[in-house]
Amino acid sequence: MIKVNNLYHSYNKDGKFAVKDVSFEVKDGEIFGFLGPSGAGKSTTQNILTGLLQLQKGDVTVAGYDIKKISNKMFNKIGMSFEESNVYSKMTAKENLDFYRKLFDVETREPEELLKLVGLRDKANVRAGEFSKGMKHRLTFARSMINNPSLWFLDEPTTGLDPAIASEIKDIIKAENKKGVTIFLTTHNMYIADELCERVAFIVDGEIKLIDSPKNLKLQYGDKLVEVEYIKDGEPNKETLSTIQEDDIKYLQDIIGKYEVQTMHTKEATLEEIFIKVTGRGLV
Amino acid sequence: MIKKIGTLFLRDLKVNKRDFLAMYIIIFPVLFALGINLLAPSINDTTVNLALIEGENPDQVTYLEDFARVEMFKDVEAVEKRVAKRDNIIGVLPDGDDYYVLQQGNEAEGVVDFAKLLVTFYEQDVQLENTNAEIIELGRTVPPLKKLLVNIAILFTSVLGGMLIALNIVEDKVDRTIRAIHLSPVSRKAYILGKSVIGVLLPIYGTAVLVWITGFNDINVGQMMVIVLVSTILSLLVGLIEGLNNDDVINAAANIKILFLPMAAAIVAVELLGDKWQKFFYWIPFYWAYKGNDAVLAGGATWQQILLYSVIVLGLSSVVYVYLAPKIRKGLE
Repeated sequence: MIKVNNLYHSYNKDGKFAVKDVSFEVKDGEIFGFLGPSGAGKSTTQNILTGLLQLQKGDVTVAGYDIKKISNKMFNKIGMSFEESNVYSKMTAKENLDFYRKLFDVETREPEELLKLVGLRDKANVRAGEFSKGMKHRLTFARSMINNPSLWFLDEPTTGLDPAIASEIKDIIKAENKKGVTIFLTTHNMYIADELCERVAFIVDGEIKLIDSPKNLKLQYGDKLVEVEYIKDGEPNKETLSTIQEDDIKYLQDIIGKYEVQTMHTKEATLEEIFIKVTGRGLV
Repeated sequence: MIKKIGTLFLRDLKVNKRDFLAMYIIIFPVLFALGINLLAPSINDTTVNLALIEGENPDQVTYLEDFARVEMFKDVEAVEKRVAKRDNIIGVLPDGDDYYVLQQGNEAEGVVDFAKLLVTFYEQDVQLENTNAEIIELGRTVPPLKKLLVNIAILFTSVLGGMLIALNIVEDKVDRTIRAIHLSPVSRKAYILGKSVIGVLLPIYGTAVLVWITGFNDINVGQMMVIVLVSTILSLLVGLIEGLNNDDVINAAANIKILFLPMAAAIVAVELLGDKWQKFFYWIPFYWAYKGNDAVLAGGATWQQILLYSVIVLGLSSVVYVYLAPKIRKGLE
């Protein structure tokens, strides 16, 4: 669905690249996570893929269209949910969707159905300018589905949403993916990436550091850990120890033998910890 | 593409109806036309208005009606009340065997003198046949001040069309919806055209309203529309560039006001300056548009004249387009 080869982009065309030699492929029906901290090159790559930024160097094919000769027809196949909500504040939720659906040349979804899906059915006739940040975000998310996209770009789809709504949004993403929609997810939230993505790419300073499935990454980079809480000299203590390293195993045995253990849990390495381990950088 | 242009236009129209500034711009031609008409009694005074007492002297009324517009009232008090109103009307009232002229005090001197002369001519029984003067008509049949105001209003409306375009594009930028439109199958060209429709229709509707309300019903509509359409191009370009380069409605509107400067210069040049100064204003598209409008409103324009002015305006606007096109393209990225 997406093929990117040796992509470079420089905003000032001065040899300083926001994206350097980026290559990856997204298969049909896959949820592909593009992960990295702010300024890593995620948005630049995504903007090139969606035609918002002009391709400077490299080969990019999106939904069967060469981005060098971008065709308006391509936009009938793709949907984009922006991180920053962007809806007409002087129009109602329904008017926003009614207007946008008329811009497509393909069969579109009913605005009422989409508003119901994102929990805004009772706000259909309220102007978007009166919406909270989260409601605007949901409307932007709903709009991105209006043309039944086969390739769906999602930029931080759960940012700013309360946990219940975020969970509903994740369910919608999973349901659309089950229907065969390919999803390109850009985020710095490793939990949502871990939950949704079949494969993830780590991007830092404009370069992709690795691409693999979260499961493989955990097997490859994640330590098996135990978190133990115990009482030593009347004071509570907490340690996180490896179940593989000899020193840690001995130390854990000591704790169990000498002190009063209160709680003990096995702990799997998170994608965030793996990201830090691989790239040497945090995600903020 | 036509359908998408229509969709973009109808959205703008719907939202403009909800916005005070945009609504004001849309109804401005109506307000301006009504304003001109409020001044119309004095602008339209191609004759003198006289107020007389009904049945007091029918011969005098018949005589005066040949030279002035006569209104009849039942008594002196009614005449006084009428004269006290805002427009220029002179009362001619009996005082024994003589007549006196009643005025408000702020009438034009010429109007009062003319009324005095008419009363004297009647008393002296002066008839038209008694004059040796030969009448030569210069062909000016339209009140000049009214024509000037309508012409200015038409040019003003074309600039307001540009302002409306800018407001709608700025809205797209403030709400960041321009990015969503770029990710739909709407080409950049369709977007520009869709956003421009309202800026073309406003001057067309505005001009129609202005000439209709102010009573210029006998003008050549085809000639007027040709001039209006070509003079709109410059405002469209400026509206687009200001919309795309501003993130604030007030900034965009303020920057567009710069167009009023060459517009005012063109009007001053045509109306007040001598022939030797005219060439210094040939570079202003509004100069030719104003001359074209003036000729059409006077009812004396030829198609040859209108086409010449239109070609000049198009040529000058094309130069502006060549300069602005790269900026418009950049603004759309």
